[in-house]
Amino acid sequence: MLAQPLCSVAPRLQRVIGSLFTHQGTSRLLPCCVAPQLCTSSKYLMSTEYKQNDGNKRKTSNAQHERTHRGDTGSSFSLFTAGAARKRAEISKKQIGGTLADASTLAKVAKTGVPTKPLSIDEWKELKTGSYNKTRFEVSMMEKLLSTRADVDVAKSLLVFVTMETGTVEYELLLKYLVLCVQEQHLSEVLDLYVIMKTRFKVLDVGAYSLFISGFSKTDHWREAVMFLDSIKKMINPSPRNYGDIIISALQHKEVETAWRLFKEMEGKNLKPNEDALQAFFECGKSFYDDQYEKKMMYILSYLRDNQIYPGEHLLHSIHSWFESIPGNRWEGHVTTILHSGECHVCNTLLESIQLSEEEYSILQECVMNNIIQGTDVFKKTTPEELQHFQTFVKNRLPFDVVIDGLNVANIAAKGNQSRILLDVVSHLAHQNLRLLVLGRKHMLRGTHSWDKGHMAIIQKYADCFFTANISEDDPFLLYATIHSGNRCKFLSRDLMRDHKACLSDKNTRRLFFKWQRGHQLVLSRYNAGHKMKFEIIPKYDTIVQTTDDTWHIPYDEEGVERCSYEVPRKWLCLRRHN
Amino acid sequence: MWFRITHLLQSFGWHYTRQLKTQVKNKVPLARCQFMPQHRTLVLTPCVKNEEEKVSHDKLDLDIWKTIMRENTTEAPKPLPSEDLGDSFLPATRELVQMWRLAGKAVPEDITEEQLSIVNELLSKSAKKKYLKYLAIKEDKKKATKEKRKLKQEGAKHLQKEKGNEEGITLRNTFLLQFWQRSFDIMYNWRAAQSMIFGQPLVFDMSYESYMARREMENTVSQLLECEGYNRKSLDPFHLHFCNLSPDGSYHKELLKRYGDAWDRLLITVTEKSYVDIFPKDKLVYLTADSPYILKTFQHDKIYIIGSIVDKSIQTGLSHANAKRLKLATARLPLDEYLRWDSGAKNLTLNQMISILLTIKETSSWQEALKFVPTRKHEGFLPLPMEQRYRSQTKNHQNRKTIDSEPEKKAGWQKSTLSLNQAVKRSSDSRKKRWWEEED
Repeated sequence: MLAQPLCSVAPRLQRVIGSLFTHQGTSRLLPCCVAPQLCTSSKYLMSTEYKQNDGNKRKTSNAQHERTHRGDTGSSFSLFTAGAARKRAEISKKQIGGTLADASTLAKVAKTGVPTKPLSIDEWKELKTGSYNKTRFEVSMMEKLLSTRADVDVAKSLLVFVTMETGTVEYELLLKYLVLCVQEQHLSEVLDLYVIMKTRFKVLDVGAYSLFISGFSKTDHWREAVMFLDSIKKMINPSPRNYGDIIISALQHKEVETAWRLFKEMEGKNLKPNEDALQAFFECGKSFYDDQYEKKMMYILSYLRDNQIYPGEHLLHSIHSWFESIPGNRWEGHVTTILHSGECHVCNTLLESIQLSEEEYSILQECVMNNIIQGTDVFKKTTPEELQHFQTFVKNRLPFDVVIDGLNVANIAAKGNQSRILLDVVSHLAHQNLRLLVLGRKHMLRGTHSWDKGHMAIIQKYADCFFTANISEDDPFLLYATIHSGNRCKFLSRDLMRDHKACLSDKNTRRLFFKWQRGHQLVLSRYNAGHKMKFEIIPKYDTIVQTTDDTWHIPYDEEGVERCSYEVPRKWLCLRRHN
Repeated sequence: MWFRITHLLQSFGWHYTRQLKTQVKNKVPLARCQFMPQHRTLVLTPCVKNEEEKVSHDKLDLDIWKTIMRENTTEAPKPLPSEDLGDSFLPATRELVQMWRLAGKAVPEDITEEQLSIVNELLSKSAKKKYLKYLAIKEDKKKATKEKRKLKQEGAKHLQKEKGNEEGITLRNTFLLQFWQRSFDIMYNWRAAQSMIFGQPLVFDMSYESYMARREMENTVSQLLECEGYNRKSLDPFHLHFCNLSPDGSYHKELLKRYGDAWDRLLITVTEKSYVDIFPKDKLVYLTADSPYILKTFQHDKIYIIGSIVDKSIQTGLSHANAKRLKLATARLPLDEYLRWDSGAKNLTLNQMISILLTIKETSSWQEALKFVPTRKHEGFLPLPMEQRYRSQTKNHQNRKTIDSEPEKKAGWQKSTLSLNQAVKRSSDSRKKRWWEEED
């Protein structure tokens, strides 16, 4: 009996999903209109399934947990919250009847023929003659030892065998052995290897230098790692990891200035420091504290803010304890969620608004026009005449309250007539006395079985309509109209607009766009013909590292939640200073 | 010497004997055995287990390979001059490539200064690696062909010798002298000349120079060469036009480089003018995969335009935008209608395009023509072409009104071709544009 709603929905969903997947490159989403309903109706069903297979059920039960408690925590769950995409994928997979294949399902088959004990020369010889690939036997054997995390003595005995056979060891083999030593933390061995390789070869390659950096930075010779870094710089740009290794060891040796210099250098090279390096800054800051250092930490926090980096749970923990270790200030931190109104649960501070400042807004306006609509060639997405026509059309009718992506809304449900759905949505919004603009394509006016002329006529009564040519893109017009209507205006679409975001030239405008999108995109979360429709709640606050005089609010990525690039975290750390 | 060894034996114990024997066997200078493991304490138990023996044995071994490596240093470490950075970059890059070679990465053995500077200009590590890998593959291919040629030559020599041994050359009675390739070439050129006068024009739009990376441009030129060759050898060649070819542009240079002297003798029309200036606009059809219209039948009085561009990072709508700007008719090949498309982009290479067009021109059967679509991209032909299926479908839906003609925005429905037909009848304004549709 309980399974009934599921069964009735399944074929329909399957159709939708099928069509979704066959249509490459769509940025349309799975109609979630059925998803929540499914979740609620099949709650018990899920719990029974829970016993049967434990593949990904834990997460879904978590999701339910979310759902049931959403009301009281007040954290909104929308298209842009971390894990939403994952959830959609899970729901759709379940409907199709597949389970999400984890990448780690393939258990590693133990490799045969890898010795576990050091062998003598004769034994190695025997192995080699019996081996499949004789030319690269040593290297491939070393790789096998590496992948099975074998004992270093085995590798050593292999090297002995090679030297006895050929009188020398090839660079490639030495490199593989070095990887093994670094991986297994045989630091004295790394130092020895460096001496050998340095005398044998004039220069080393980038890979070797990187390995020596990570090896040396764990020893007392860590200063030499800086030299290696310089050698790498001669050839290519070092990786964040190279920097991170040295930064960590410099901090451990209380050399803050060196670490700071490297951090700044990374920033200059536009490299994003990895979490471990940032964590080291906060971890080491606990032991020695002065105002200078505090300034640096504040700088790092503002760096996180400017680059919209969300710390992971480990880094957050370090930040938290660093704040609490500051003498005299009595900082206190709590993990929290934020209410829709943008108020923090713990300290009742109002967080920064999601609305863009005047300056940002004008930048964004500019960019949408120049990059998204016109781009390198106006003809790619539209034609100059059409653009002109649209601009005058919008100018005469501004401002709108809601701009509707007609085709997107109409295709929200697989069942039902498209113009009917659009009419439903438009009339629902029109009854709230909102000025509407519906964007569509000319073919919607032709009068077909899915686009009823009568419906379209009523829609045109309720709202202003603009129909682009069939070969033009309608999304850019949607964005243009919304942005030009001013800050109050929202747009209604399920499209994540990722391709349009990608048209923007630089990181900062992309961020601005995303921020604006989070604050202005209405999403139909529930649509059933003849029932009430619900829109996802738009948060009033911006998810970004932020501070006031005596508080810090830091959003962070939870462990075990997959966050896509177009999603933002939900959990926050609230830090408050008592005076 | 033996005295020394015995001395050593006394001091180190009997574990080493075997080891030393191998040393002597391998003619390793004995000096290398003179090391003192500092942490060794010899425990003499009446019954030594094999394993213990091994472990101790190995601890020794480790030192041995290191010492051998140290002794083997061939070259003295050279001090690295790093005074002026500008100059030290190229050698540094060269060294990087050499070391990568040693490390077993895919990089070429020999690299020219020019290539080195290209590597140097590339900004990211991955770009460098990609380019080097490309060079390595190229090098390997060159070597392989050289090897093959050598073998062939040797085989030929062998045959020559055998023939020479036979001595008796018998003259055959034939009405033709040996038919050389030259005669073929003359025949092809006659045909090409004829097509220059009477043939149907086919335009390659060369205006995409700026959109391509160097590699892509080179690939395009290779494809153009193949096109020209295939066209010349066909029964009824097109009259090829290379339009919008800017003189002294990268295209032009590459074409000159590849064709050499033959460039001026080619029986094609090359011009910097645009196709719109040469041909009447209403006769032009721009073939582009982004077009919403389907090329149903090949028309012999139209001039088809192919954009000569290789876009490895697929640049959607580039040629379509061009056609829109000039208000030209556009069309795409009926791939979906005749093939069960599997995967891969629907933009085909230039030589595939010209093969398809030549075949459709001669046979006017899409089934024949679309055999040139790479088979990896589709899973065979549809039993009944889409259009016919739609036709039979609509008989059942006579009461239905027309379906919208344009492709749905992003919905998953299949586009219908029949609806196109019906739309043609309905919209008179676009009728002119879509003259290539069949009226049924």
